[in-house]
Amino acid sequence: MIRFKNVTKLYPPNVVGVQGVSLHVKPGEFVSIVGKSGTGKSTLAKLLFAEERPTRGVIEIGGWDITNINDSDVPLLRRQIGVVFQDFKLLQKKTVYENVAFALQVAGERPHRIREVVPKVLEIVNLDNKLDRYPRQLSGGEQQRVAIGRALVHSPKILIADEPTGNLDTLNSREIMDLLSKINEFGTTIVLVTHDRDMVNRLRRRVITLEDGKIVSDVEEGRYKL
Amino acid sequence: MFVSSYRVTQFAFQNFWRNFWLSLITVSMLLLTLVTINILLVLNVITDRAIALVEDRIEVSVYFYDYTEDTTVSAAVAYLRGLSEVRDVATVSATEAYDQFVARHQNDEQIMASLEELGQNPFGPSLIVKAHTPEDFTQIIDALDNPQFRDFIREKDFSDYQNIVERIRSTTDRIRAFGIALAVVFLLIAILIVFNTVRIGIFIHREEIGIMRLVGASNWFIKAPFLLEMILLSLMAVGLTALIVFPTVAVIEPQLSVYFGAESAGLVDYFVQNGLLIFGGQFLALVLVTLFSTGLAMRKYLKV
Repeated sequence: MIRFKNVTKLYPPNVVGVQGVSLHVKPGEFVSIVGKSGTGKSTLAKLLFAEERPTRGVIEIGGWDITNINDSDVPLLRRQIGVVFQDFKLLQKKTVYENVAFALQVAGERPHRIREVVPKVLEIVNLDNKLDRYPRQLSGGEQQRVAIGRALVHSPKILIADEPTGNLDTLNSREIMDLLSKINEFGTTIVLVTHDRDMVNRLRRRVITLEDGKIVSDVEEGRYKL
Repeated sequence: MFVSSYRVTQFAFQNFWRNFWLSLITVSMLLLTLVTINILLVLNVITDRAIALVEDRIEVSVYFYDYTEDTTVSAAVAYLRGLSEVRDVATVSATEAYDQFVARHQNDEQIMASLEELGQNPFGPSLIVKAHTPEDFTQIIDALDNPQFRDFIREKDFSDYQNIVERIRSTTDRIRAFGIALAVVFLLIAILIVFNTVRIGIFIHREEIGIMRLVGASNWFIKAPFLLEMILLSLMAVGLTALIVFPTVAVIEPQLSVYFGAESAGLVDYFVQNGLLIFGGQFLALVLVTLFSTGLAMRKYLKV
């Protein structure tokens, strides 16, 4: 599903994002990428959804070589990859429903399809009773669930979660992790970028540890070791 | 495609309303530029009309000595009519010239007394020659240097009219140059304002744009609302210009009759007949300019 072949990302003048990273994520896997701040976790995530281009190496998503992906092809890639962030990135003037529908609207989906998909997605993230609420009327956990819902509307094969629990308390963090596990059970590959030790240990799934931009361990059913 | 176009239009209108005051300033500046251009156009029409009017009255008067035989005058007329530059030749016989002079000065006792004292017709025959264009007069005058007629011609007169045309031309050319400079300044300001409007629009919508990119909106979908908004603003500016120009020319046209006499300056007719071309052309030109400026702003501030 995801293949990195000796990928290096350097930022000018000579800052290392990631260096010589090679990894393979199989379809339906749940992979946590862990490491201290500044070890290249987020760079790895950005390389996955083509926010950054690698300096060297090859990146393939579902057999598609996105190493030097054209700007015009990036939207197509992003409709196949859901992304959620620590800061939710919700539009404050739009309701829960509108925030999720927005992702379909800007992709040119027809209104009847939007009316069909959005309620289903909001049911999955358990927000079907809060369609008309605005983000400010929701808890952090609920806001993150809206963001996850929005990431799911295109039925992505891969969901990248970059520090999704970074702004949440333990209870809300657990809810989000449970939701990600549930989504993974439906067959979506999850790439979780985090430094939340408890969550990673609780998951008992594959853990890739980064240090200074390099993979220092890759363990099935791993634990947060740093 | 239809759904996306509808949403792009929706976002463009949203940009306009969320940025209302800035949009208003942009439209005002575009309007000012277009009004200046239309003032130049009005000036052009008036100048052309004035010059045409003067040119139509330009004629070379060829005065013969009073001893010139009618056969020589007729030969000169035939010769002139044979020239491609000549539009018309009218003959004024010595008697007609005398009668016209008397009619013109019948109330001037001194002149009439002097004429009587002469005891004979002091006027010779003359020709009034009209050309197709003012440039043709030089050739006509040169042609009259033909040895067959040269010695019978007392005077050839047309220089005053040339002066008038040149004065009209030089005055309007100066006004036009000032107007063009003014229009260029307004246009540059308009380009800067459009650039700034788009920049602020991008800044205001940066969150939405970021999310659009994240969820896979195409580059076209992100950029199109800004381009469409500027097309809308251009359309509004052209519409308002037309609303200002038509009543204004209708009001000033009668005032110009003082200068044009019974003939109309033809301003309203000109704008009615060429309205679509004038305002359509201005709209297209404005769209090109605003899209260029929008493109620059997006290139600098909108990373998609």
